Amino acid sequence: MKTVVEAAPNVTDSNLYLNGIPHRRFAALRAQPGIAWHPYGDDDSAGFWAVTRHGDVKEVSKNAEIFSSALGHTNLWDLEADALEARRSLIDTDAPDHTRLRRLISSVFTPKNIRRWGDLTRSVVSDVLDDFEASGGGDWVDLVAAPLPIRVILAILGVPVEDADYLVELSNYLVEGTGGEQSLAPSAFGNTTELRLLPFNSPASHAMFEYGARLAELRRNDPQDDMVTMLVQAEADGEKLSASEFRNLFHLLIFAGNETTRTALSHGAVAFADHPDQLRRLRDDRSLLDTATDEVLRWATPILHMRRTATENTELAGTAISAGQKVVMWYASANRDEAVFDDPFSFDIGRGGGNQFSFGGGGPHFCLGAFLARLEISALFDEMACRGLGLQQRGDIARCPSNFVHGILSVNMEPVR
Amino acid sequence: MNGPNPSQDEQNESAKDSKRVVLVVDADRCIGSGMCEMLEESIFLIDEDTNIAGVLGDGSLAADRATAVIDRCPASAIAVI
Repeated sequence: MKTVVEAAPNVTDSNLYLNGIPHRRFAALRAQPGIAWHPYGDDDSAGFWAVTRHGDVKEVSKNAEIFSSALGHTNLWDLEADALEARRSLIDTDAPDHTRLRRLISSVFTPKNIRRWGDLTRSVVSDVLDDFEASGGGDWVDLVAAPLPIRVILAILGVPVEDADYLVELSNYLVEGTGGEQSLAPSAFGNTTELRLLPFNSPASHAMFEYGARLAELRRNDPQDDMVTMLVQAEADGEKLSASEFRNLFHLLIFAGNETTRTALSHGAVAFADHPDQLRRLRDDRSLLDTATDEVLRWATPILHMRRTATENTELAGTAISAGQKVVMWYASANRDEAVFDDPFSFDIGRGGGNQFSFGGGGPHFCLGAFLARLEISALFDEMACRGLGLQQRGDIARCPSNFVHGILSVNMEPVR
Repeated sequence: MNGPNPSQDEQNESAKDSKRVVLVVDADRCIGSGMCEMLEESIFLIDEDTNIAGVLGDGSLAADRATAVIDRCPASAIAVI
């Protein structure tokens, strides 16, 4: 049963994250032998096992049959069975459904395929940086970090340019949904579905589904050279994506391909603004671009945790875990594990050592968009290095009060040459 | 690689390079993430039809680079023969 340890320091209170990741608390958790039980919710059984060490996160990620993504979904809170079914997508499916779905779409995300969008990405980078410099700076999130990934993923999906703003608006509402508080009325965007059956409990999800379905229909009738066409045509073992699979996937791609990269680009900018020596280092030695990209990812940890559910009685780091219990991997902690990263709280673009876990700890759910994210991140900082463009932060960072997304709502930056 | 009387060149090569190993991909584990192709383009390529990584050429790599790419594979699908 539960190992008797001191009460785990709270790491789930969303308001804690207004001041950034509670690193001291995670360090204390890493230092405890075994896995700490973290109370969560009103009664004792609603707690979870807090996995905070790099090696343990890797172990959980790898053992997908024992640590299920489907059984209880991948967020901290519990959903009712019908809500779970309505929202299910690639991220909260297990083998064999997961394997089938993943195989169906993974060809779209291979390095070779993503490289086709290299020129487009670089041209979007150029545009946003031109705008940023011409404005004399401003909110980095508004001017650079948000538009870059959204414009790239929408172009890749094949969404018409004139619809981009609408989808940005929708995904911003989804991000808002992750923080808990919502500004939208339940019937916004003509939604009639119960909110608890929608991803992030948001009516914006309904709007996203509708849009995706319309676009899929258009592309079925008039195929184009884009990702939506590839997805509607994709076939494995004589089967294609069902309407609900497509809809949930479209939604996942827009959210995952947008909000997370935005977060990485925002934290990356803050890091380079705080450490101009590292930017100079990148300028002087462009062969550091790949490791710099890895370091930006480690630093940013856009998704702070993912949850699994034990399918059987098992054991992790000497702690017994019962079937049905929640097991939560804290990437925020793994990415600062002193056992793996020397001087983990220094931003070092030449850092060697262990793998960063911002794409997850490995295993079958390893981030599908990893290569695309890397392309965007490296294109941005490469162009900044190329231009000799530095940054100066003005004022404080406005952070997202969320234990799930390491979001930056806004941060003012000034260009420095 | 080295015969009974290795030439001076071969001895120098062995001293400079780490030993080479031959790599293989377990198709059942592979999820087509492309990390291998990203790191070692000359010996890994994701097949467009099956979405599985394939090994190109003789699949051989210096041992230290092999360790790095094996470690990077999120599905633990790469091994030394």
